[in-house]
Amino acid sequence: MKPLRIALTKGRLENDTVALFEKIGFDCSAVRKKGRKLILPVGGNRFEVVLAKAADVITYVEHGVCDLGVVGKDTILEQGSGFYEVLDLGFGRCKFALAGPKDRDFFSGYSSKTIATKYPNVARNYFESKGMDVRIIKIEGSVELAPLLGLSDAIVDIVETGSTLKENGLEVIESICDISARLIVNAASLKIRKTEIESLAEEMDRAKEGTA
Amino acid sequence: MKKYNKVTPEGTKDLLFEECLVRRYVEKTLRDVFFSRGFNEVVTPGLEFYDVFDPNFSGIGQEVMYKMSDRRGRLTVMRPDSTMPIARLAATRLQGLPKPIRLFYTQPIYRNNPALTGRSDETVQTGIELLGADGMRADLEVIVTAIEALGKCVPDFRFELGHAGLFRALAEQPPISDDLREDIRSAIESKNYASLNRILDGLEESGPVTAMRTLPRLFGGEEVFAHAEPFCSDEKSGGMLEYLHELYRSLSCRGLGDKMIVDLGLVQRNDYYTNIVFSAYVEDCGDAVLLGGRYDNLLGYFDFPMPAIGFAINVDAISKIMLDHGTLYSVMPADVLVHGETGFEMEALNYASTLIEKGLKCENSIFETKEKALEYAKTRGIRRVDCIGDRIETINLT
Repeated sequence: MKPLRIALTKGRLENDTVALFEKIGFDCSAVRKKGRKLILPVGGNRFEVVLAKAADVITYVEHGVCDLGVVGKDTILEQGSGFYEVLDLGFGRCKFALAGPKDRDFFSGYSSKTIATKYPNVARNYFESKGMDVRIIKIEGSVELAPLLGLSDAIVDIVETGSTLKENGLEVIESICDISARLIVNAASLKIRKTEIESLAEEMDRAKEGTA
Repeated sequence: MKKYNKVTPEGTKDLLFEECLVRRYVEKTLRDVFFSRGFNEVVTPGLEFYDVFDPNFSGIGQEVMYKMSDRRGRLTVMRPDSTMPIARLAATRLQGLPKPIRLFYTQPIYRNNPALTGRSDETVQTGIELLGADGMRADLEVIVTAIEALGKCVPDFRFELGHAGLFRALAEQPPISDDLREDIRSAIESKNYASLNRILDGLEESGPVTAMRTLPRLFGGEEVFAHAEPFCSDEKSGGMLEYLHELYRSLSCRGLGDKMIVDLGLVQRNDYYTNIVFSAYVEDCGDAVLLGGRYDNLLGYFDFPMPAIGFAINVDAISKIMLDHGTLYSVMPADVLVHGETGFEMEALNYASTLIEKGLKCENSIFETKEKALEYAKTRGIRRVDCIGDRIETINLT
């Protein structure tokens, strides 16, 4: 049988996952000194790790070309889901929040508000659930700029420590939801390779308990 | 203005040669299975009124349907599903027929998928519907037909059984809002244990709550039934579990062995299914290639209530798997090229007819000279050229 293929979100989630794998006892030397290769063996030849951008991890898993993936809940919320989300890995913790200029009451007044965000779907769902009609503008880079420049009334973004907000005279108006890294699984893969995938998920779950 | 005359819309594609061969082979193979079990073919229109697929009933979101309007401004859609139109057809036109009614279909469905995801908006499906039949015999017949049909095309697959009623029976017990019930359903569907536990931790612990907590983990082989038994203690869910187990036991007699799986966490929203549900998975294909189940309330939507069960197979997915595995041979060149000399054009065509009657595949030469015909035959890999003039000359090329 082919090795299970796991897509990892490049960067911090990749490092945290590799650390978790090593804790379980998988040999990750190929990932540690990877060079420019994008498909790498892990744990002998039991698994293959694929390094990809967060959104692509979901795409690869949805299409079944990767069996599993490690990706942030932020990307899952933004991209929608046609897969199983079997494990909260506990690392990569942060939250989605609505933030705006300090000391201004965002919810006051009747004029419709403008929101700048990198996550238009998250923002839309949040305001729909509040029954609020807002104008959403997609921004690619530092979203904090938009209210400072007067483009928007507030932003919906990922907040970790809140220090970037503070330095720019912004504050959290309301937390939207917590975010952390998740282990996702393609539906067909889980059905066809149940035992392998379940035992991997269990090992990761157990190793994760130790770190917390 | 930019012209789009050389491309096809996203989500659609042309099929060429081998792709057509495989697709027709799959269609014919499956058709033969259905036909020989007494199912008769129906074709429903590509265009239907939107009301046939009312999202509240069909579970098909309105954003997914390709919509147009007819001459009187009424909303029409390109068929997004075949079961709803067949239920409409049976409820309106087949009322007088003795039950059960066995129908099958092979036709494309259209769905407007999100952009740039690589999904097909046009998918050929073939499937059966067994209408006006309830109970174990009907369920077994349809499932065995599904397994037999699939097995003729792809030998290696996993067949999964579940029960759409089980979650409903459990979820209706605790006093919770419909919204919360939907959150629970969605967490079970995506096997999101973390979020499921978070929701259920907020509820008072009871039999059904514990059962729902366990539901997404209840999948695997026959051992699942034993694991599930303590959670399905009330009469309703216990009865469903027992029925599913009986079905499983009967089916495992067919030597399916470890190909059969049970998933009690199958709780799709896209649902007219009321009772047993089943699906099939093949390696290298990220989606189910077969989906089916019992839908006893659907005919009632068309004011002619009767129980029914059916399934649909994704012909395109099966064809792609067979192509990728090289299961079918490629398109073969003609056996003979028939070339008529000047003045013998009609004779050549008649001669070709006699060869075709003998079972040969014949191409007609449209070239003026024998040399050009021979040259063409060589480039096409045709090994024999018959020249028709005063006499018939056969030239064998190597």
